[in-house]
Amino acid sequence: MMMITRKDLYYISSANSIMDLLGLLLKLVLDTSVSWARMFVALGVSVALSIAAGVWMATSSKAEKLMLPVVDVLQTIPILAFFPFAIYIFVAVLPGYIGINAAVVFLIITSMVWNMILGVYESIKTIPKELAEVARLYHFDIWRRLRRIYMPACFPRLVEQSILSWSIGLFYLVTSEIFSIGNKNYQVGYGIGPELIKLAQIGGGYYLLGLGVFIAFVILTRFLFFRPLEKYATKYTRQRAQAPKPKLEKRMITWLETALPRRKVEFDEKGFLIDSGGAAPRKPAVRRRVIKVSTLYTALGAMILLVMAYVIASSPTLRGYEIAAFIALAATFARVWLAFLVTLAIAVPVCVYIVFMSKRTSQYMLLFQIVASVPATVLLPAIALAIGGGALHGEVVAFIIFLLSGIWYVIFSVVASVKTLPSNIFEAQKTFGIKGWNAWKNIYLKAIVPGLITGAMTGIAAEWNASIVAEYFTSTGITGSTNILSSVGIGIGKLLDLSLAAGNSGLGLMVIALLNLVVMILLVNTFVWKRFYNRIASVYR
Amino acid sequence: MRMLSVENVSFLYENSAQEIMSKVSFTAEKGEFVSIVGPSGCGKSTLLRIIAGLVQPSSGRVLFMDKKVEGPNSKMSFVFQDFALLPWLTNQDNVKMGLSMTDLDDDSKEAKAAELLDRFGLGGFEKYYPNVLSGGMKQRVGIARAIASDPQVLLMDEPFSSLDELTAETLRSDIIYMLENKNISVNSVVMVTHNVEEAVELSDKIIVLSNKPTHVKRIIKVLWKRPRDKRSSRFTDIMDQIYAALAQ
Repeated sequence: MMMITRKDLYYISSANSIMDLLGLLLKLVLDTSVSWARMFVALGVSVALSIAAGVWMATSSKAEKLMLPVVDVLQTIPILAFFPFAIYIFVAVLPGYIGINAAVVFLIITSMVWNMILGVYESIKTIPKELAEVARLYHFDIWRRLRRIYMPACFPRLVEQSILSWSIGLFYLVTSEIFSIGNKNYQVGYGIGPELIKLAQIGGGYYLLGLGVFIAFVILTRFLFFRPLEKYATKYTRQRAQAPKPKLEKRMITWLETALPRRKVEFDEKGFLIDSGGAAPRKPAVRRRVIKVSTLYTALGAMILLVMAYVIASSPTLRGYEIAAFIALAATFARVWLAFLVTLAIAVPVCVYIVFMSKRTSQYMLLFQIVASVPATVLLPAIALAIGGGALHGEVVAFIIFLLSGIWYVIFSVVASVKTLPSNIFEAQKTFGIKGWNAWKNIYLKAIVPGLITGAMTGIAAEWNASIVAEYFTSTGITGSTNILSSVGIGIGKLLDLSLAAGNSGLGLMVIALLNLVVMILLVNTFVWKRFYNRIASVYR
Repeated sequence: MRMLSVENVSFLYENSAQEIMSKVSFTAEKGEFVSIVGPSGCGKSTLLRIIAGLVQPSSGRVLFMDKKVEGPNSKMSFVFQDFALLPWLTNQDNVKMGLSMTDLDDDSKEAKAAELLDRFGLGGFEKYYPNVLSGGMKQRVGIARAIASDPQVLLMDEPFSSLDELTAETLRSDIIYMLENKNISVNSVVMVTHNVEEAVELSDKIIVLSNKPTHVKRIIKVLWKRPRDKRSSRFTDIMDQIYAALAQ
């Protein structure tokens, strides 16, 4: 493995004077601002898209039937794997920097928008019928409906989901920025991701400074941008006697969890718990109709696949691609699931301790939120350089990145779902003296199952997302010469990276690799997660 | 014989100077059914949780068979308003949870849980999960769990208020049967309720609480054999007494 020497780095010759340090700090702030600009553009577009799509889905049953399954599926597909493909397309259409930045923003939107759409859709769907009747009685046009009814109804959920989307988006931002460094033709230009890679190669202190700036931006955004929005949102929630869910972990709710039957917990104006004892917020009737349409989609997908399979089988080149893609997919599959099993081994005891045993749950959660706000891929350069060479270097780096990418989803999702359990369950535990192994077996390990499934789905998706940088990571874009910092033997992420680097000739391989990936994800969704979900949905109510 | 003695129990939340419960005292004797009634939000449920040892009083004490209650124990059991069954355990396993503090081996626990379910008319539902049961059946599982460890005192927090009236009526007579039957361990019942009629129907002693801070307003003894005729003037007289005490 080749290391960059200090003299390669043009902007710090010797950063030992205060002025140089301040200069570096300023540069870091500017770079992070550029990254944040990408995020805000993506958030703005996502808000507009989610309102349009959410309102449309909630008010037209045709749109609802057609789009709900699509949105559900898109949420679980690791869209970052499409980044190489998106770059290829965007750069082919738009010139250089503009193309690549458009690709990054597009990617971030695809990470942000799905849960926001569902949020808008669900909150408009649950508007009391009387309000719609009022709107009809007074002949509200679409703008007045939007302003007076739809927006106030969906605003709190939209803010809540935006915060979740923001943290998911950060992962995509950093990963795609770092990815762009791998290829000198597709550089993102300025941004905190490339900056951190440069700093990681100089030394620990500078890198930590970069990380500090990043975390400061995360925290400032939370308090200066989202907190006021949350406060503003309570204006609308109070009217419905429903306070906002105050904790970030509560927002780590994803599609499966909204679909799971949950006990509805409400608060009155003063924040006291109102025990409504109600059932799931989402209507089962809608679900059932949606499942019918998803069967239709499945049949459609199967037909397309058959045609594809025929085309691939009839061409020797494509057959070769298919074999390569399949082997690479299998390798990454093994890696992702191994990392996930280790994640479970760590996350389960940690979760049980934090939610059931510790009295400092909220302090731990705050700490975790701050740590989790740092996307695992930000740490990639440091990890790749810190762990020395050796035969398995690439594997170890990929494993660590996968682990860090997935684990927070599991932890936050478990904590959020356990919090929805009625508190009298824990009183019963105390009354009947359920302790020790008895409590682990009959309460703790079972109470976390719904959260674990949601967390597993989203966490594993995050691992697949990370694969495009975790499996193959270079700084070619900075140094000009091929400089592989970390690489596994074979893997779907690496395959996608290399096929992008190959330009036009790699396109066929890239498309086939992506097809394989999507088919695999859909199969796992259907045969693993849906089954789990159906089994627990009949019990956990 | 005195089963339970609540002595000058006061309660205030941590970080708060204002007492929400002030010097509550009453007793429950062997064979007695005691009801606690009071305006909503007056801390009835908190009082019951203090008696159970789930919540520590700020001052005062609760004696169970002349011993100070420091925490939950297997001889005092609890029936919850919303049943508090563990949704992920079968009905039989839920009842088994009530035997956690006993040192029976697992087979005996299984057998006892099955027998209890059977006694409450839930034979055949052992391997089902609570969510297939109606509210009344769920509460039967809750009661079976509560008496599994042969408790002497049964504490019940609004046990019938989540049920329809017909189901509630049946369960009320089940409870009275348990109290009056010498072969069943339950010697005394303390029930929190907001339903005055229910209190008069069942109780030997009715503790009327008042609000802000919670204190005992009146203790009404009902020396009258059950079942009691709800349409009799004696019944309505006692109800009027309670309403009068609540209105003061």
